[in-house]
Amino acid sequence: MKKLLSTALALGLTTGAAVAQDEVTLQLQWVTQSQFAGYYVALENGYYDAENLDVTILPGGPDIAPPQVLAGGGADVMLNWMPSALAARERGLPVVNIAQPFVRSGLMLTCWGDVGITEPADLAGHTVAHWFFGNEYPFLSWMSQLGIPTDGSDGGVTLLQAGFNVDPLLQRQADCISTMTYNEYWQIIDAGISPDELVTFKYEDYGVATLEDGIWALEENLSDPAFVDKMTRFVRASMQGWAWAAENPDDAAMIVLDYDETGAQTEEHQLRMMGEIALLVEGGDGTLDPEAYARTVATLLAGGSDPVISAEPEGAFTSVITDAALAN
Amino acid sequence: MSAGLAQSARRSWVVPAIGAGLIALAALSEPRLAIVLALWIGAWGLNIVLSRGTETAAIRLAVPVIFGLTLLAIWEVTVRLYEISPIILPAPSQIAQAFAANTDILWADFQQTILKGALSGYVMGCGLAFLTALAVDKSNFLQRGLLPVGNFIAALPIVGTAPILVMWFGFGWESKAAVVVAMVFFPMLVNTVSGLKATDAMQRDLMHTYAANYGQSLVKLRLMNALPFIFNGLKICTTLALIGAIVAEFFGSPTVGMGFRIKIEVGRLAMDMVWAEITVAALAGSGFYGLMALIEKRMTFWHPSQRGR
Repeated sequence: MKKLLSTALALGLTTGAAVAQDEVTLQLQWVTQSQFAGYYVALENGYYDAENLDVTILPGGPDIAPPQVLAGGGADVMLNWMPSALAARERGLPVVNIAQPFVRSGLMLTCWGDVGITEPADLAGHTVAHWFFGNEYPFLSWMSQLGIPTDGSDGGVTLLQAGFNVDPLLQRQADCISTMTYNEYWQIIDAGISPDELVTFKYEDYGVATLEDGIWALEENLSDPAFVDKMTRFVRASMQGWAWAAENPDDAAMIVLDYDETGAQTEEHQLRMMGEIALLVEGGDGTLDPEAYARTVATLLAGGSDPVISAEPEGAFTSVITDAALAN
Repeated sequence: MSAGLAQSARRSWVVPAIGAGLIALAALSEPRLAIVLALWIGAWGLNIVLSRGTETAAIRLAVPVIFGLTLLAIWEVTVRLYEISPIILPAPSQIAQAFAANTDILWADFQQTILKGALSGYVMGCGLAFLTALAVDKSNFLQRGLLPVGNFIAALPIVGTAPILVMWFGFGWESKAAVVVAMVFFPMLVNTVSGLKATDAMQRDLMHTYAANYGQSLVKLRLMNALPFIFNGLKICTTLALIGAIVAEFFGSPTVGMGFRIKIEVGRLAMDMVWAEITVAALAGSGFYGLMALIEKRMTFWHPSQRGR
């Protein structure tokens, strides 16, 4: 008994020493894939260690809403699309954008070329399959700006709630489907469809792009200087990871594959995804561009009868952390 | 008898004393906990007092109602006192508000999921299982061949079959009905088959001496005896049908339906709406089950399990 106790004590002391690092838990918004390469690179290459951080990365999935995890105390910081985060903020969960590694949107609408859709206004009367779970906001905003109803009324778009695969398009149950430049689009191509058979509309090209994959934390935590300091180091190390990933996309994709505990990801898909992701983060240093923020908010407010957010958010982002992170 | 009375009299002060002690203890360290405890123990005490008195119909109704209301009150008070975020757990009053404000949406979802998806699948699945059971009963060959297949279908996980059926039957209610058929078929089949075996040789011999043919003895004897089993199957299937129809919507649906709503409102962090849908599902499930139990009572009044109520 005595021996057991002393062993336990010794164990406690050694782990106590190791825990001197600050713990940070990051909630991703999807499964482990190259979309999150920067964070895995920072972990693998020891950038977090160098900042004295012990970072745990929690993969997401189809049924995980990151804001809910944050609200429940399951994570310190989350990745989220701005529309979903701002909607959560309006719902009473005060989240604040502390950094924005993605400067461009990868969201697209991909349609069959033979159904008579050549521009977004042609979508009226067609069927569109979309993911929901907070990802539908940019589409709803866009349609409402074009004056196309999405509530199933005549002359509108018939919306289907699809799973996170491209089967509804392949089965022609839908004429169009939402895709990401780095993921679903390539699933269509991999299914043997030639790009010539498809028409693709990038949100970025139509001025309705909303910011994706920002880093968000709870407002109440940001009044604590220790937390701000921890986040500053986290953002600095993460951006270092992103810079490395953009320069070494192939190695970054391999690091991601190593961290994929499900073993579901393939090398080819991850390498290609990393290439596309590099385009989205290119030229960004983590600072949120106020213009892109204003455009996102304007898009979301322009949601017609059913806007994503009803009032201009206040204090939804801060540059304190990125300023500090970039200063040294 | 008198010993029992004396014992209960001796014990009657124990619960209030423990309760008062707990409340006092909690009040010292955590006043909010004391309020919750006081609510709980108070309502408990009230129920004890009520159930000790003469049992009237009113009291028999009041005891469970008080229990239910106490749970709701504790929920409401806890959420408010501890300022639990509505994203984690909304208070019952918030859920009631969401329910009242969205009755049109809830009704549309109810029609899509319960009336179209669950009910049509239930009727088709149970009807098909009933007919199959008759065939299985008649033929030993089918009994050995079909029952294992039925068992196999019942063992398929819904999260695996639902996406496939959505791909086959489209995004509308048809695919939900198909999932429900797959879910209710086997329990109904097994129950009906055992029901048809419920008569003993003496009863069948008696029908034989009356010169009853297969049809007559089936309708007049064996189906009658099978009714309690058939209704067991029908009652089990009510809840299965509901679960099947709601969960199947997670894997693809038009923009209406209870499963769809639950899924997207979770994503939108509108938990009050999610709970409102859960309320609808609970009410629909209890109502559906109750309806079956009522029909059972009417039709199997002769059965020992239904007597004396």
